[in-house]
Amino acid sequence: MSIRMDQIQPIIDREYDYLMSEHPHWSLTKGDQDLELVAHALRVLLHHKTTPQHLSEYLALVDCQHADGGWGKMSSDTGSAAWVTAFSALMLIRGNLLLKHPGIAQSVRKCVRYFLETQKEDGRWADPSWADLDAVSHPISFFDVLMAVGSHLIDGPTMQAVKASWRQGMRFMLERQAEDGGWYDPEFHPTGVEITAHLIQDSIVADLVVGNELNVTTCCRKGVRKLLSVQAADGSWDSENVDHTMDCTRSIMLVSSILGIRAECDRAIERGLEWILKHKCEHGWPDFPGMDTNLERTCDGLDTLLKYRAYSQPVTTAIVKLWGYAA
Amino acid sequence: MTFLAKASEIRVGERKLIKVHGVDVAVFRVGDQFYALNNACPHRQGPLIRGTMVESENGKGCSIRCPMHGWKFDLATGDSHGRPGNATVYALTQCGDELHIDI
Repeated sequence: MSIRMDQIQPIIDREYDYLMSEHPHWSLTKGDQDLELVAHALRVLLHHKTTPQHLSEYLALVDCQHADGGWGKMSSDTGSAAWVTAFSALMLIRGNLLLKHPGIAQSVRKCVRYFLETQKEDGRWADPSWADLDAVSHPISFFDVLMAVGSHLIDGPTMQAVKASWRQGMRFMLERQAEDGGWYDPEFHPTGVEITAHLIQDSIVADLVVGNELNVTTCCRKGVRKLLSVQAADGSWDSENVDHTMDCTRSIMLVSSILGIRAECDRAIERGLEWILKHKCEHGWPDFPGMDTNLERTCDGLDTLLKYRAYSQPVTTAIVKLWGYAA
Repeated sequence: MTFLAKASEIRVGERKLIKVHGVDVAVFRVGDQFYALNNACPHRQGPLIRGTMVESENGKGCSIRCPMHGWKFDLATGDSHGRPGNATVYALTQCGDELHIDI
Protein backbone atom coordinates (compact mmCIF):
# COMPACT_ATOMS: atom_id res chain seq x y z
CA MET A 1 0.00 0.00 0.00
CA SER A 2 1.39 3.41 -0.90
CA ILE A 3 -0.52 5.40 1.74
CA ARG A 4 1.38 5.00 4.99
CA MET A 5 -0.15 5.01 8.45
CA ASP A 6 2.34 7.63 9.62
CA GLN A 7 0.59 9.94 7.13
CA ILE A 8 -2.90 8.95 8.23
CA GLN A 9 -2.57 8.79 12.01
CA PRO A 10 -1.90 12.53 12.55
CA ILE A 11 -5.01 13.31 10.50
CA ILE A 12 -7.08 10.89 12.59
CA ASP A 13 -5.80 12.53 15.78
CA ARG A 14 -6.49 16.04 14.55
CA GLU A 15 -9.95 15.27 13.20
CA TYR A 16 -10.94 13.38 16.33
CA ASP A 17 -9.98 16.44 18.40
CA TYR A 18 -12.08 18.55 16.04
CA LEU A 19 -15.09 16.24 16.47
CA MET A 20 -14.73 16.46 20.23
CA SER A 21 -14.58 20.26 19.99
CA GLU A 22 -17.97 20.08 18.22
CA HIS A 23 -19.45 17.96 21.02
CA PRO A 24 -22.39 20.32 21.76
CA HIS A 25 -23.53 19.93 18.14
CA TRP A 26 -23.84 16.14 18.16
CA SER A 27 -24.18 14.99 21.76
CA LEU A 28 -27.56 13.99 23.16
CA THR A 29 -26.25 14.96 26.60
CA LYS A 30 -26.49 18.58 25.38
CA GLY A 31 -30.09 18.47 24.13
CA ASP A 32 -32.22 17.53 21.15
CA GLN A 33 -30.14 16.18 18.25
CA ASP A 34 -30.41 14.70 14.78
CA LEU A 35 -30.05 11.00 15.52
CA GLU A 36 -28.37 10.11 12.23
CA LEU A 37 -25.60 12.51 13.19
CA VAL A 38 -25.48 11.08 16.71
CA ALA A 39 -25.11 7.54 15.34
CA HIS A 40 -22.32 8.66 13.00
CA ALA A 41 -20.48 10.19 15.97
CA LEU A 42 -20.97 7.12 18.16
CA ARG A 43 -19.48 4.99 15.40
CA VAL A 44 -16.35 7.14 15.49
CA LEU A 45 -16.13 6.62 19.27
CA LEU A 46 -16.38 2.86 18.71
CA HIS A 47 -13.68 2.74 16.07
CA HIS A 48 -11.44 5.20 17.91
CA LYS A 49 -11.81 2.87 20.92
CA THR A 50 -13.04 5.62 23.21
CA THR A 51 -16.53 4.21 23.83
CA PRO A 52 -15.79 3.30 27.49
CA GLN A 53 -15.19 6.99 28.27
CA HIS A 54 -18.58 7.93 26.80
CA LEU A 55 -21.20 5.77 28.53
CA SER A 56 -23.43 8.82 29.00
CA GLU A 57 -23.74 9.26 25.21
CA TYR A 58 -25.06 5.71 24.80
CA LEU A 59 -27.41 6.00 27.77
CA ALA A 60 -28.80 9.24 26.37
CA LEU A 61 -29.65 7.37 23.19
CA VAL A 62 -31.45 4.72 25.25
CA ASP A 63 -33.38 7.48 27.02
CA CYS A 64 -34.98 8.76 23.81
CA GLN A 65 -36.01 5.31 22.49
CA HIS A 66 -39.75 5.06 21.90
CA ALA A 67 -42.03 2.49 23.52
CA ASP A 68 -42.21 0.55 20.22
CA GLY A 69 -38.41 0.14 20.30
CA GLY A 70 -37.63 2.64 17.57
CA TRP A 71 -36.28 6.17 17.16
CA GLY A 72 -37.19 9.07 14.88
CA LYS A 73 -35.05 11.44 12.85
CA MET A 74 -34.75 13.88 15.75
CA SER A 75 -34.39 12.71 19.33
CA SER A 76 -37.54 14.68 20.19
CA ASP A 77 -39.63 13.07 17.41
CA THR A 78 -42.44 10.82 18.57
CA GLY A 79 -42.72 8.55 15.51
CA SER A 80 -40.22 5.80 14.70
CA ALA A 81 -38.43 5.17 11.41
CA ALA A 82 -36.63 2.01 10.31
CA TRP A 83 -33.32 3.35 8.99
CA VAL A 84 -32.35 5.54 11.92
CA THR A 85 -33.60 2.89 14.35
CA ALA A 86 -31.27 0.35 12.77
CA PHE A 87 -28.28 2.70 12.91
CA SER A 88 -29.03 3.49 16.58
CA ALA A 89 -29.51 -0.20 17.38
CA LEU A 90 -26.20 -1.06 15.74
CA MET A 91 -24.36 1.50 17.84
CA LEU A 92 -25.96 0.24 21.03
CA ILE A 93 -25.35 -3.47 20.47
CA ARG A 94 -21.78 -2.83 19.43
CA GLY A 95 -21.12 -0.26 22.15
CA ASN A 96 -22.45 -2.61 24.78
CA LEU A 97 -19.82 -5.21 23.93
CA LEU A 98 -17.56 -2.81 25.80
CA LEU A 99 -19.97 -1.06 28.15
CA LYS A 100 -21.91 -4.15 29.34
CA HIS A 101 -24.76 -2.03 30.69
CA PRO A 102 -28.09 -3.81 31.45
CA GLY A 103 -30.12 -0.79 30.33
CA ILE A 104 -28.47 -0.86 26.92
CA ALA A 105 -29.02 -4.62 26.64
CA GLN A 106 -32.72 -4.09 27.38
CA SER A 107 -32.86 -1.36 24.75
CA VAL A 108 -31.32 -3.70 22.17
CA ARG A 109 -34.01 -6.29 22.93
CA LYS A 110 -36.65 -3.63 22.28
CA CYS A 111 -34.98 -2.93 18.93
CA VAL A 112 -35.23 -6.61 18.00
CA ARG A 113 -38.94 -6.52 18.75
CA TYR A 114 -39.36 -3.34 16.69
CA PHE A 115 -37.84 -4.92 13.59
CA LEU A 116 -39.69 -8.20 13.97
CA GLU A 117 -42.99 -6.34 14.27
CA THR A 118 -42.49 -3.87 11.42
CA GLN A 119 -41.18 -6.08 8.60
CA LYS A 120 -43.55 -6.36 5.63
CA GLU A 121 -44.66 -9.69 4.19
CA ASP A 122 -42.27 -9.46 1.24
CA GLY A 123 -39.27 -8.99 3.54
CA ARG A 124 -38.87 -5.23 3.30
CA TRP A 125 -39.00 -2.51 5.88
CA ALA A 126 -40.47 0.75 4.70
CA ASP A 127 -38.98 4.15 5.46
CA PRO A 128 -40.10 7.11 3.35
CA SER A 129 -36.71 8.78 3.79
CA TRP A 130 -34.78 5.96 2.14
CA ALA A 131 -34.96 3.63 -0.83
CA ASP A 132 -36.51 0.28 0.11
CA LEU A 133 -33.21 -1.51 -0.47
CA ASP A 134 -31.46 0.80 2.00
CA ALA A 135 -34.34 0.51 4.46
CA VAL A 136 -33.94 -3.29 4.34
CA SER A 137 -30.14 -3.38 4.43
CA HIS A 138 -29.76 -1.54 7.72
CA PRO A 139 -32.06 -3.75 9.85
CA ILE A 140 -30.43 -6.82 8.27
CA SER A 141 -27.07 -5.41 9.29
CA PHE A 142 -28.37 -5.16 12.85
CA PHE A 143 -29.52 -8.78 12.69
CA ASP A 144 -26.10 -9.78 11.28
CA VAL A 145 -24.42 -8.23 14.30
CA LEU A 146 -26.99 -9.71 16.66
CA MET A 147 -26.31 -13.19 15.27
CA ALA A 148 -22.53 -12.64 15.28
CA VAL A 149 -21.99 -11.17 18.72
CA GLY A 150 -25.33 -10.74 20.50
CA SER A 151 -27.08 -14.09 20.59
CA HIS A 152 -26.83 -14.10 24.39
CA LEU A 153 -29.19 -11.12 24.48
CA ILE A 154 -32.28 -12.97 23.27
CA ASP A 155 -33.96 -16.31 23.90
CA GLY A 156 -34.06 -19.23 21.48
CA PRO A 157 -37.52 -18.63 19.96
CA THR A 158 -36.69 -14.95 19.38
CA MET A 159 -33.46 -15.93 17.65
CA GLN A 160 -35.42 -18.28 15.41
CA ALA A 161 -37.76 -15.42 14.53
CA VAL A 162 -34.75 -13.18 13.82
CA LYS A 163 -33.24 -15.76 11.50
CA ALA A 164 -36.51 -16.15 9.59
CA SER A 165 -36.82 -12.39 9.27
CA TRP A 166 -33.17 -12.12 8.22
CA ARG A 167 -33.66 -14.70 5.45
CA GLN A 168 -36.67 -12.80 4.11
CA GLY A 169 -34.78 -9.51 4.11
CA MET A 170 -31.72 -11.04 2.48
CA ARG A 171 -33.87 -12.60 -0.23
CA PHE A 172 -35.51 -9.24 -0.87
CA MET A 173 -32.08 -7.75 -1.60
CA LEU A 174 -30.48 -10.67 -3.41
CA GLU A 175 -33.39 -11.00 -5.83
CA ARG A 176 -32.97 -7.36 -6.86
CA GLN A 177 -29.31 -7.36 -7.90
CA ALA A 178 -28.97 -6.31 -11.52
CA GLU A 179 -27.04 -8.33 -14.08
CA ASP A 180 -24.15 -5.85 -13.95
CA GLY A 181 -23.71 -6.45 -10.20
CA GLY A 182 -25.31 -3.22 -8.99
CA TRP A 183 -28.53 -2.40 -7.15
CA TYR A 184 -30.67 0.47 -8.38
CA ASP A 185 -33.68 2.46 -7.31
CA PRO A 186 -35.20 4.63 -10.04
CA GLU A 187 -36.69 7.02 -7.49
CA PHE A 188 -33.73 7.50 -5.15
CA HIS A 189 -30.52 6.34 -6.75
CA PRO A 190 -30.56 5.83 -10.52
CA THR A 191 -26.75 5.45 -10.61
CA GLY A 192 -26.95 2.68 -8.02
CA VAL A 193 -23.53 3.50 -6.59
CA GLU A 194 -24.47 4.28 -3.01
CA ILE A 195 -27.03 1.49 -2.68
CA THR A 196 -24.57 -1.06 -4.05
CA ALA A 197 -21.85 0.12 -1.67
CA HIS A 198 -24.27 0.02 1.26
CA LEU A 199 -25.76 -3.39 0.56
CA ILE A 200 -22.62 -5.41 0.05
CA GLN A 201 -20.84 -4.04 3.13
CA ASP A 202 -23.67 -3.41 5.56
CA SER A 203 -25.61 -6.61 5.18
CA ILE A 204 -24.95 -9.12 2.43
CA VAL A 205 -21.26 -9.93 2.87
CA ALA A 206 -21.83 -10.68 6.56
CA ASP A 207 -23.42 -13.97 5.55
CA LEU A 208 -19.92 -15.25 4.76
CA VAL A 209 -18.89 -14.48 8.35
CA VAL A 210 -21.98 -15.49 10.32
CA GLY A 211 -22.88 -18.81 8.71
CA ASN A 212 -22.48 -18.84 4.94
CA GLU A 213 -26.07 -19.93 4.42
CA LEU A 214 -26.92 -18.07 1.23
CA ASN A 215 -23.76 -18.41 -0.83
CA VAL A 216 -23.27 -14.70 -1.47
CA THR A 217 -19.67 -14.83 -2.71
CA THR A 218 -20.54 -14.33 -6.38
CA CYS A 219 -23.08 -11.66 -5.60
CA CYS A 220 -20.56 -9.68 -3.51
CA ARG A 221 -17.77 -10.07 -6.06
CA LYS A 222 -20.08 -8.74 -8.77
CA GLY A 223 -21.02 -5.84 -6.49
CA VAL A 224 -17.40 -4.92 -5.86
CA ARG A 225 -16.56 -5.15 -9.54
CA LYS A 226 -19.51 -2.92 -10.35
CA LEU A 227 -18.12 -0.28 -7.98
CA LEU A 228 -14.61 -0.63 -9.40
CA SER A 229 -16.00 -0.17 -12.91
CA VAL A 230 -17.63 3.18 -12.14
CA GLN A 231 -14.81 4.82 -10.18
CA ALA A 232 -13.81 8.06 -11.88
CA ALA A 233 -10.30 8.65 -13.15
CA ASP A 234 -9.67 11.06 -10.25
CA GLY A 235 -10.53 8.34 -7.69
CA SER A 236 -14.01 9.59 -6.72
CA TRP A 237 -17.48 8.12 -7.23
CA ASP A 238 -20.78 9.70 -8.28
CA SER A 239 -19.56 13.03 -9.65
CA GLU A 240 -17.22 13.93 -6.79
CA ASN A 241 -19.72 13.02 -4.10
CA VAL A 242 -17.64 12.84 -0.89
CA ASP A 243 -20.22 10.71 0.96
CA HIS A 244 -20.52 8.18 -1.83
CA THR A 245 -16.74 8.06 -2.35
CA MET A 246 -16.27 7.32 1.34
CA ASP A 247 -19.00 4.65 1.17
CA CYS A 248 -17.43 2.94 -1.83
CA THR A 249 -13.92 3.05 -0.39
CA ARG A 250 -15.05 1.53 2.91
CA SER A 251 -17.24 -1.04 1.21
CA ILE A 252 -14.47 -2.29 -1.05
CA MET A 253 -12.05 -2.47 1.89
CA LEU A 254 -14.35 -4.83 3.81
CA VAL A 255 -15.72 -6.95 0.99
CA SER A 256 -12.37 -7.44 -0.75
CA SER A 257 -10.87 -8.51 2.58
CA ILE A 258 -13.57 -11.10 3.22
CA LEU A 259 -13.53 -12.38 -0.37
CA GLY A 260 -9.74 -12.51 -0.50
CA ILE A 261 -9.51 -10.23 -3.55
CA ARG A 262 -7.49 -7.37 -2.07
CA ALA A 263 -4.91 -7.44 -4.82
CA GLU A 264 -7.63 -6.62 -7.32
CA CYS A 265 -8.90 -3.72 -5.22
CA ASP A 266 -5.91 -2.15 -3.45
CA ARG A 267 -5.25 0.50 -6.06
CA ALA A 268 -8.90 1.59 -6.25
CA ILE A 269 -9.00 1.92 -2.46
CA GLU A 270 -5.84 4.01 -2.47
CA ARG A 271 -7.14 6.24 -5.23
CA GLY A 272 -10.38 6.73 -3.34
CA LEU A 273 -8.53 7.56 -0.15
CA GLU A 274 -6.13 9.92 -1.91
CA TRP A 275 -9.11 11.79 -3.36
CA ILE A 276 -10.79 11.94 0.07
CA LEU A 277 -7.65 13.34 1.68
CA LYS A 278 -7.17 15.85 -1.12
CA HIS A 279 -10.64 17.31 -0.63
CA LYS A 280 -10.57 17.73 3.13
CA CYS A 281 -11.41 21.10 4.61
CA GLU A 282 -9.07 22.60 7.19
CA HIS A 283 -11.22 20.76 9.74
CA GLY A 284 -13.44 17.93 8.59
CA TRP A 285 -14.96 17.11 5.22
CA PRO A 286 -17.62 18.69 3.00
CA ASP A 287 -20.41 17.00 1.04
CA PHE A 288 -18.73 18.07 -2.20
CA PRO A 289 -15.32 19.64 -2.88
CA GLY A 290 -15.27 23.34 -2.13
CA MET A 291 -18.25 23.32 0.24
CA ASP A 292 -18.12 24.05 3.98
CA THR A 293 -17.39 21.30 6.49
CA ASN A 294 -20.31 19.02 7.31
CA LEU A 295 -20.15 17.30 10.69
CA GLU A 296 -21.76 14.06 9.51
CA ARG A 297 -19.33 13.86 6.60
CA THR A 298 -16.49 14.52 9.03
CA CYS A 299 -17.59 11.46 11.01
CA ASP A 300 -17.64 9.47 7.77
CA GLY A 301 -14.17 10.73 6.88
CA LEU A 302 -12.77 9.75 10.26
CA ASP A 303 -14.49 6.38 10.02
CA THR A 304 -12.93 5.81 6.60
CA LEU A 305 -9.44 6.54 7.93
CA LEU A 306 -9.98 4.35 11.00
CA LYS A 307 -11.15 1.53 8.75
CA TYR A 308 -8.14 2.02 6.51
CA ARG A 309 -5.97 1.67 9.60
CA ALA A 310 -7.62 -1.70 10.26
CA TYR A 311 -7.41 -2.65 6.58
CA SER A 312 -3.66 -2.06 6.73
CA GLN A 313 -3.24 -4.73 9.37
CA PRO A 314 -2.33 -8.21 8.14
CA VAL A 315 -5.30 -10.04 9.71
CA THR A 316 -8.72 -9.80 8.04
CA THR A 317 -10.54 -9.89 11.38
CA ALA A 318 -9.23 -6.40 12.20
CA ILE A 319 -11.48 -4.80 9.60
CA VAL A 320 -14.38 -7.25 10.03
CA LYS A 321 -14.64 -6.13 13.66
CA LEU A 322 -15.29 -2.57 12.52
CA TRP A 323 -18.60 -3.66 11.03
CA GLY A 324 -19.45 -5.61 14.18
CA TYR A 325 -19.47 -8.98 12.43
CA ALA A 326 -16.89 -10.28 14.92
CA ALA A 327 -16.22 -9.43 18.57
CA MET B 1 -38.58 41.49 -1.87
CA THR B 2 -34.81 41.17 -2.07
CA PHE B 3 -32.66 41.49 -5.16
CA LEU B 4 -31.41 38.05 -6.23
CA ALA B 5 -29.62 38.33 -9.58
CA LYS B 6 -29.84 39.68 -13.08
CA ALA B 7 -31.86 37.32 -15.28
CA SER B 8 -29.37 37.72 -18.10
CA GLU B 9 -26.64 36.24 -15.87
CA ILE B 10 -28.39 32.86 -15.83
CA ARG B 11 -28.79 31.31 -19.24
CA VAL B 12 -31.49 28.84 -20.23
CA GLY B 13 -30.80 25.45 -18.64
CA GLU B 14 -28.28 26.86 -16.18
CA ARG B 15 -28.29 27.24 -12.42
CA LYS B 16 -26.56 29.48 -9.93
CA LEU B 17 -25.94 29.44 -6.18
CA ILE B 18 -26.47 32.86 -4.60
CA LYS B 19 -26.14 33.83 -0.95
CA VAL B 20 -28.99 36.08 0.24
CA HIS B 21 -29.02 37.33 3.84
CA GLY B 22 -26.68 34.46 4.72
CA VAL B 23 -28.92 31.83 3.09
CA ASP B 24 -27.72 29.72 0.14
CA VAL B 25 -30.36 30.03 -2.57
CA ALA B 26 -30.24 27.67 -5.55
CA VAL B 27 -31.59 29.40 -8.67
CA PHE B 28 -32.62 27.31 -11.69
CA ARG B 29 -33.66 28.52 -15.12
CA VAL B 30 -35.87 26.24 -17.20
CA GLY B 31 -36.83 27.94 -20.45
CA ASP B 32 -37.94 31.42 -19.51
CA GLN B 33 -38.95 30.37 -16.03
CA PHE B 34 -36.79 30.98 -12.93
CA TYR B 35 -37.06 29.02 -9.68
CA ALA B 36 -35.45 29.78 -6.32
CA LEU B 37 -35.09 27.12 -3.61
CA ASN B 38 -33.19 26.88 -0.37
CA ASN B 39 -30.07 24.95 -1.34
CA ALA B 40 -30.22 22.57 1.64
CA CYS B 41 -32.20 19.37 1.10
CA PRO B 42 -34.54 18.84 4.08
CA HIS B 43 -33.32 15.24 4.39
CA ARG B 44 -29.57 15.53 5.10
CA GLN B 45 -28.90 19.09 3.86
CA GLY B 46 -27.45 17.91 0.55
CA PRO B 47 -26.76 20.71 -1.96
CA LEU B 48 -29.68 20.90 -4.39
CA ILE B 49 -27.60 23.08 -6.70
CA ARG B 50 -25.60 19.90 -7.49
CA GLY B 51 -28.76 17.91 -8.15
CA THR B 52 -30.02 16.26 -11.31
CA MET B 53 -32.87 17.92 -13.21
CA VAL B 54 -35.76 15.56 -13.87
CA GLU B 55 -38.62 16.37 -16.23
CA SER B 56 -42.11 15.43 -15.10
CA GLU B 57 -43.60 12.40 -16.80
CA ASN B 58 -46.48 14.49 -18.13
CA GLY B 59 -44.02 16.98 -19.60
CA LYS B 60 -45.25 19.73 -17.33
CA GLY B 61 -42.76 21.08 -14.85
CA CYS B 62 -39.43 19.90 -13.56
CA SER B 63 -37.98 18.48 -10.37
CA ILE B 64 -34.51 18.52 -8.89
CA ARG B 65 -33.09 15.32 -7.42
CA CYS B 66 -30.73 15.76 -4.45
CA PRO B 67 -27.29 14.26 -5.16
CA MET B 68 -26.93 12.82 -1.65
CA HIS B 69 -29.83 10.40 -1.16
CA GLY B 70 -32.09 11.00 -4.10
CA TRP B 71 -35.01 12.99 -2.71
CA LYS B 72 -36.77 14.77 -5.56
CA PHE B 73 -38.46 18.19 -5.35
CA ASP B 74 -40.84 19.99 -7.66
CA LEU B 75 -39.05 23.21 -8.61
CA ALA B 76 -42.21 25.30 -8.47
CA THR B 77 -43.68 24.03 -5.22
CA GLY B 78 -40.88 22.20 -3.36
CA ASP B 79 -43.13 19.13 -3.08
CA SER B 80 -41.05 16.04 -2.33
CA HIS B 81 -43.30 13.42 -3.92
CA GLY B 82 -44.10 11.61 -0.66
CA ARG B 83 -40.91 12.09 1.34
CA PRO B 84 -41.22 13.40 4.92
CA GLY B 85 -40.19 16.99 4.14
CA ASN B 86 -40.48 19.51 1.31
CA ALA B 87 -37.87 21.90 -0.07
CA THR B 88 -38.23 25.57 0.77
CA VAL B 89 -39.26 27.53 -2.31
CA TYR B 90 -38.99 31.33 -2.40
CA ALA B 91 -41.52 33.44 -4.29
CA LEU B 92 -39.68 35.02 -7.20
CA THR B 93 -40.60 38.00 -9.34
CA GLN B 94 -38.90 39.38 -12.41
CA CYS B 95 -38.82 43.14 -13.13
CA GLY B 96 -37.08 43.67 -16.44
CA ASP B 97 -33.69 42.04 -16.08
CA GLU B 98 -33.86 41.89 -12.29
CA LEU B 99 -34.92 38.88 -10.23
CA HIS B 100 -36.23 39.44 -6.70
CA ILE B 101 -37.23 36.91 -4.06
CA ASP B 102 -39.24 36.97 -0.87
CA ILE B 103 -36.86 35.70 1.80
